[in-house]
Amino acid sequence: MRNIGKVLFVSLIALFLIGGTSSCNSKKKMLKQEYEMKLQQAKDDLNAIINDQSDLTLDQQIARIEEISNGDFNDPELNELIEYAKLYVKLAEEEKLKEERRAEEERLRMEELNNIPKTSLEDYFGKIAGASSISSANSLINEALELFASPDAIVLIRINSFGDYDRPTTAVEYLNYLKDSKEAKMRIYEAKYDDNNKITELELIKK
Amino acid sequence: MKRIFLAVLMGVFMLASTEVKAQDISPERKQAIDSLALEKVRDLSKYIKIVGSKDTPWSEANRVIERVEELFAPDAEIGVSSLSSQKINYYSVRKYLERLMRLNYDKVEIEWYNIEYVSDLQRQPDGTYVGVITIFQTFKGYDKEGRLVYKDTTKKDITIYVKRKETQIGGRLIGFWDVLLGDMRVKETTH
Amino acid sequence: MLIIFYHADCQTYSISNNIIDESDFYMMTKQMSQFFSRFNNEEDQYGVKYQPDSPEYRDNKRRAEILPILFDSENPRTNGKLRDMFIADVTSDEEHYMEFLGGEWFAEVSATFLWKNKPVSISLILTVEQENLGSKWVLTNVIFTEFNKMFPSGEMAEREKHFLHPMSHELDFFNIHKAFRNPQYIEYYSSKNYYPDYLTLFFYEIKNGNLTFENVDAVKFHIFQIGNWYFEVSWFNRTGHNAGWLISNLIYLKDEEKTSLLKFYQPK
Repeated sequence: MRNIGKVLFVSLIALFLIGGTSSCNSKKKMLKQEYEMKLQQAKDDLNAIINDQSDLTLDQQIARIEEISNGDFNDPELNELIEYAKLYVKLAEEEKLKEERRAEEERLRMEELNNIPKTSLEDYFGKIAGASSISSANSLINEALELFASPDAIVLIRINSFGDYDRPTTAVEYLNYLKDSKEAKMRIYEAKYDDNNKITELELIKK
Repeated sequence: MKRIFLAVLMGVFMLASTEVKAQDISPERKQAIDSLALEKVRDLSKYIKIVGSKDTPWSEANRVIERVEELFAPDAEIGVSSLSSQKINYYSVRKYLERLMRLNYDKVEIEWYNIEYVSDLQRQPDGTYVGVITIFQTFKGYDKEGRLVYKDTTKKDITIYVKRKETQIGGRLIGFWDVLLGDMRVKETTH
Repeated sequence: MLIIFYHADCQTYSISNNIIDESDFYMMTKQMSQFFSRFNNEEDQYGVKYQPDSPEYRDNKRRAEILPILFDSENPRTNGKLRDMFIADVTSDEEHYMEFLGGEWFAEVSATFLWKNKPVSISLILTVEQENLGSKWVLTNVIFTEFNKMFPSGEMAEREKHFLHPMSHELDFFNIHKAFRNPQYIEYYSSKNYYPDYLTLFFYEIKNGNLTFENVDAVKFHIFQIGNWYFEVSWFNRTGHNAGWLISNLIYLKDEEKTSLLKFYQPK
């Protein structure tokens, strides 16, 4: 809409330039009309900015406010709008910076997370079974239990592909079993998680 | 505590459990059941090693004894005889392991052989499958000076009960084979 | 050749100062289940079952090679011509396989009991009986010398002295007191079809508290499943390759002999 206005404005200037030679009176009249139109356009643009309805980017908004405030207007209402608009873009700029900082922080955090060697549950199986002492096995068990919603989360063990299982057990019992048997012969077939990304049910199958 | 929880848990599950009607097991499934049963016996041999070892802390040994008790049917007995006496001494699973824990040697070595013989599974009148797994073990006890003061090799014949059960887990019906160890005969061999 | 075959891949374990040859444990017939399985050639030398559709399963040529290891090789009775005859017969075209649920095989459990507070030896005879979804071992007879002594077969001359004459009924059987005069002969007053039921006597003594169980001493098996052959399987606890459950006695029976022997193991 405003673009149409601008086109109109430019066309009018062109008209004015072409027909600039008509007469002095009409020139003055035209200048006044042009001024009014420019003023109105400036107010419209500023209102749009203040009311968060502008299609311009923040940088374009700053440029437009600058343009308007440098324009040869002498209108108290416009001056007030300029002040508001300046405040608005200042806040918007701050907001944008904050957002950028947050995104950067998040990016760095993710990067950091990815760089930490994360121990998967299956790794824990092997580590617990191969632990050099009972106390190290026990601390690994405690770490691995962190991955579960509860130490009593159900663990199912498939014994074949016919849908036959061993007697159901629990996470803590299974991890202790790995410690006692000193063998990790099962791999994860399926795991169910809760909203906190903790395992609520684990299904294992022979490697 | 954990054990109590599991017992309660299983108890609740079992309410929904139904025994599968008489059915013959296909050779492939039978093989999986045999291996499952064999796995329980291997677990038992590992547990016996842990309980027997003088390096195992008391608390760990006790936890393991509880696990062993869970492997066995509640009324299972262990019957032990030696070459010197044909008389069979009867022990509960706990008594047998506690006796092993208290043996008065400075160091104990328990060795299991690779031979495991699994009998055919026969059904008893209530439909439960019963089998026997035979394994061999050498036990050696050393004194403070590291001298071998006692050694025996025993044949262990272990009853296994296999029962098909079903249970509801997370709204899903899970069919599982409940394998429990039963009476165990421990006989000294001339080896 | 057989030994070499069975020896393949067996490992020798060295444990401290003793060396245990693991092949002993492979060769040992470790369970009666394995005895059945080897007898029928249903498993390989490591005890792994053959699939019923495999060519090795129940292959008679292989059986002829394996069967000798199921005999006590130190007993001439089970290590000679009779044994070879048995093997030839069993591996002929006729079907001679052992079946767990095939009947006609019995366990003899020699046990110590306390009878009136003194230790006695009693043999319990058991057989596998099918029930509902499966089977179980049941008692069919007992052998206890005290019971046998109570019912001696007796001399004919003596037996013939003890009877109630055929007109006793006309005398209101007032003469029946003679039957009870000497308890030793009481059974002579019974029908010729009478046989003492030792199992009932045994239960009676247990229920009265006169007999209490002490211990199992030994177990052996009596097998009548294979044609006209009877054989005994006993446990041999010894080193070497001829150990475990082995045939300790072998007899060829005529039909009537088999029937009467079976009657002893399972009177009813």
